[in-house]
Amino acid sequence: MSAIRSRLMMSALLAGGIALIPATACDRLPGRPKAAQSAQEGSPEWTVEVFNTSCRGCHAQGAVGAAVPLMDSAYWRAASDEQVTRGVLEGQGMLMPAFGLSGGGPFTPAQASALTRGMRALWGGGAQKSPEISGTLVAGNASNGKSVFDVACAGCHGVGGSAGSVTDPMYLRLISDQGLWTAVVAGRKALGSPAWNEPMPGRPNGLTTVEVADVVAYLSSQRPRSMSELKP
Amino acid sequence: MSDRIQDPGAHSPARGGDEKPCVNCGCAERTAKQDARRGFMFRFGAVLLGVGGAIAAVPILGTLLAPARRQASAWVSLGSADAFPAGQTRFATFLSPIRQPTDGDAAKTACWVRCISPGKYQVFAVNCAHLGCPVRWFAQSRLFMCPCHGGAYYEDGSRAAGPPPRGLFEYPWKIDGGNLMIEAGHLPGMEQST
Amino acid sequence: MKPPRVVGMAIDWVEARTGAVAFLAPLLTHHVPRNAKWWYVFGSATLMFFTIQLVTGVCLATLYAPSAAEAWESLRYIDEEVPFGWMLRALHGWSSNAMVVMMAIHMLQVFLHASYKFPRELNWVTGVFLLFTVLALAFTGQVMRWDQDAYWGLGIGASIADRIPVIGNQVRGLLLGGPIIGGETLSRFFALHVFVLPGAALGLIGLHLALIMKNGISEMPKVGATVEPATYRAEYEQRMEKDGVPFYPDAAQRDMVFCGACLVLLVVLAAVYGPFGPGGQPDPTLIDTNPRPDYPFLWIFGAVSLLPPASETAVMLVAPLVGVLALVAVPFFANAGERAPSRRPGMVLIASLAVMAVAALTWEGKTSPWSPVMNAWSALPTPEHFLAGRTPLEVQGANVFQFAQCRNCHSLDGLGGERGPALDAIATRMTPDQLMRQIQQGDGNMPAFGRNLDSAQMTALVSFLSTLRPEFEAPAVIPGAQLPLPVQRMPGEVVTPVAVGSQ
Repeated sequence: MSAIRSRLMMSALLAGGIALIPATACDRLPGRPKAAQSAQEGSPEWTVEVFNTSCRGCHAQGAVGAAVPLMDSAYWRAASDEQVTRGVLEGQGMLMPAFGLSGGGPFTPAQASALTRGMRALWGGGAQKSPEISGTLVAGNASNGKSVFDVACAGCHGVGGSAGSVTDPMYLRLISDQGLWTAVVAGRKALGSPAWNEPMPGRPNGLTTVEVADVVAYLSSQRPRSMSELKP
Repeated sequence: MSDRIQDPGAHSPARGGDEKPCVNCGCAERTAKQDARRGFMFRFGAVLLGVGGAIAAVPILGTLLAPARRQASAWVSLGSADAFPAGQTRFATFLSPIRQPTDGDAAKTACWVRCISPGKYQVFAVNCAHLGCPVRWFAQSRLFMCPCHGGAYYEDGSRAAGPPPRGLFEYPWKIDGGNLMIEAGHLPGMEQST
Repeated sequence: MKPPRVVGMAIDWVEARTGAVAFLAPLLTHHVPRNAKWWYVFGSATLMFFTIQLVTGVCLATLYAPSAAEAWESLRYIDEEVPFGWMLRALHGWSSNAMVVMMAIHMLQVFLHASYKFPRELNWVTGVFLLFTVLALAFTGQVMRWDQDAYWGLGIGASIADRIPVIGNQVRGLLLGGPIIGGETLSRFFALHVFVLPGAALGLIGLHLALIMKNGISEMPKVGATVEPATYRAEYEQRMEKDGVPFYPDAAQRDMVFCGACLVLLVVLAAVYGPFGPGGQPDPTLIDTNPRPDYPFLWIFGAVSLLPPASETAVMLVAPLVGVLALVAVPFFANAGERAPSRRPGMVLIASLAVMAVAALTWEGKTSPWSPVMNAWSALPTPEHFLAGRTPLEVQGANVFQFAQCRNCHSLDGLGGERGPALDAIATRMTPDQLMRQIQQGDGNMPAFGRNLDSAQMTALVSFLSTLRPEFEAPAVIPGAQLPLPVQRMPGEVVTPVAVGSQ
């Protein structure tokens, strides 16, 4: 008799206790949905999120990318904010699509510029654009460029060079003059290309700004004007 | 338990319907004439119910079946034709011209506008021809891709790969006062020619 | 512990006016087979989950706004503002899935034990109707969430209806309540979800239970104990009289324990994992979405992607009818004879195949390897070891690989789409010429890129792909061509395929 009663009492207490858990701790249960909040535009979290979904595919999670690695401070020393923002909005060359709204992409001009500033703050290593050399293409002399190229570049980047030829006409078809400029100025250290002012085989002090313009002019002159020139 | 159940009428004949006194109150024997009258009343009631039911069925079936009628579409503007640069395919949205007050956001509709050359367009429904999921345009590979079952289409809307049985659905278009207009309405579907 | 006299008087008073005790007593005391043990608890658990659905569903109906303009917001409100609101939705959602699962187990058990044989054919048939009613409840419930999955899920339903020959357009209109997915669609599905289908389910459950009372619980199958319609009923009643045990408490205790455990598990699941959705807001112009149906329908979602386009329409329209008819026909096709699974290998095989097919298709539907990974091209970086030591042209080729969205369907290092083959070692399988032709012309499952990439892009891409092979594995050659000497590739060296037909 009393055994039954105490068992009933126990059960009631247990049930009541279990019922109290959600009643008191409901707000802290793991299943409670969190109010969705997206990172504020321009914040570091937002920048990383945008980079990870829209840029990282080509511009690398680190120093080695198919296109210019944006987590590399060398790039941020070579490029100005205006230039990067314009690249984001309008695209560049044959392989960088326009990401601006007017080009059919997702970003407003304000977002593109916030993204640029955010990336420089994260990966620029505190560097501003270097004042020593222009970020954008400067006209040069192609024949001077050829002699500079033969001395300073061809050992690695010429035909049969250890890093592969940059005078390959197919390669030149795919890269714009501005792309060449950025490549020469910023280099691709992880892939064996020094920046413009770093030691090169024939040039222990790197190139001068004029020589950079000349080399780019020379490479540009090697680009086939039309695909028909490529056909043997 | 069935023996407890009684017929609803108090004067019910005993089981078997023999000409015997009523089991409940012992009232007089039922006559054939009475039976005939009850039968007639029952049939009369049934006819009344039938007529009333038929009339009531008109609004019931009418509202339930009304959506089966094919609804007309209407011309709707996608904005200035200049907003669609030649050689490109752009996203455009419009409010369904046959929307209802309670549709909310669901009345918003999306489409893809391909400007082949100035004055020459193709306007595609976002709905995949396979099972209606929204296809996305990839300008670099010049393909539409569907997230549901991997249908892919070329830029002219023709099927490129995957399960779709045909190309993308297209809206008729015209230029009116500098605006690109399309004829839109019900969900695009199989009644459209390929 | 004798109850006070007043309780007995009250019961008598009610009994005299309702007959409730006379009605209920046989439900509790009817004899059930002694050997059923834990096999027969699944039906009770299904009923328990249905009860949970009724109670939580009515509560949700007091908070939910069944209007296309407000439904999604009202769910967010229930989740975030209403006290315990999210828990209510979580219970309803998890209990829905649990009911489907429990129902499937119950059905499988009945099928394997052949409990559908004489005289229980109609028990099975009402069960089949209940199955489809419950699946319809699950689908309409998904629509109630009125998020992007709900919207595009309706789109999938509408597209299937649209494929019906001749009257497809009308059927689609009836389904959607109008020419577009809109306010009237939600209202229509709301009426189905809260009035029509629960009403149908209640009726069918009543019938199902009445048939159980009429025909008795079937015994455990025994080899040699065949069902003979002419004598079965009398023999069954005799056996129950002799060897049966009363439902209460012998069988009811197990039902009670199992249902209790299920309910506790349900509460834990709901509290830990929370409610389902709502997903993105139901704006059809937000097409950056990846619609997926709820769990009970993932296997259908998987199946429709694997059908060949030519037979697809026919299969989509005919298969459901065949499925329903086949299920209904089961007890009429075999209503007598052996019940033991060991004597019915064909049926066991059918059941196993069905379970495996649904499980495999659900997995396929969940992982959707056929779907392009929409942002792979811009989000998944080219693995560094595929770039180091490559020529500028090859690196540009890697760029083209990302640019041309190849990654959306082809993975590198296990990352990327799975629609096409992984390309980590493609150069061991295809020569540059073969790669070029494949990319230009495509095939049934790969679009042709000939018109979409220019020759410089194509050349760069092929030169990149030709580097994709493990270091000490030889590149592909044309079958029959002279095998190349083992080459060790220098960094930057361009891989030159063995010239075909030269020498």
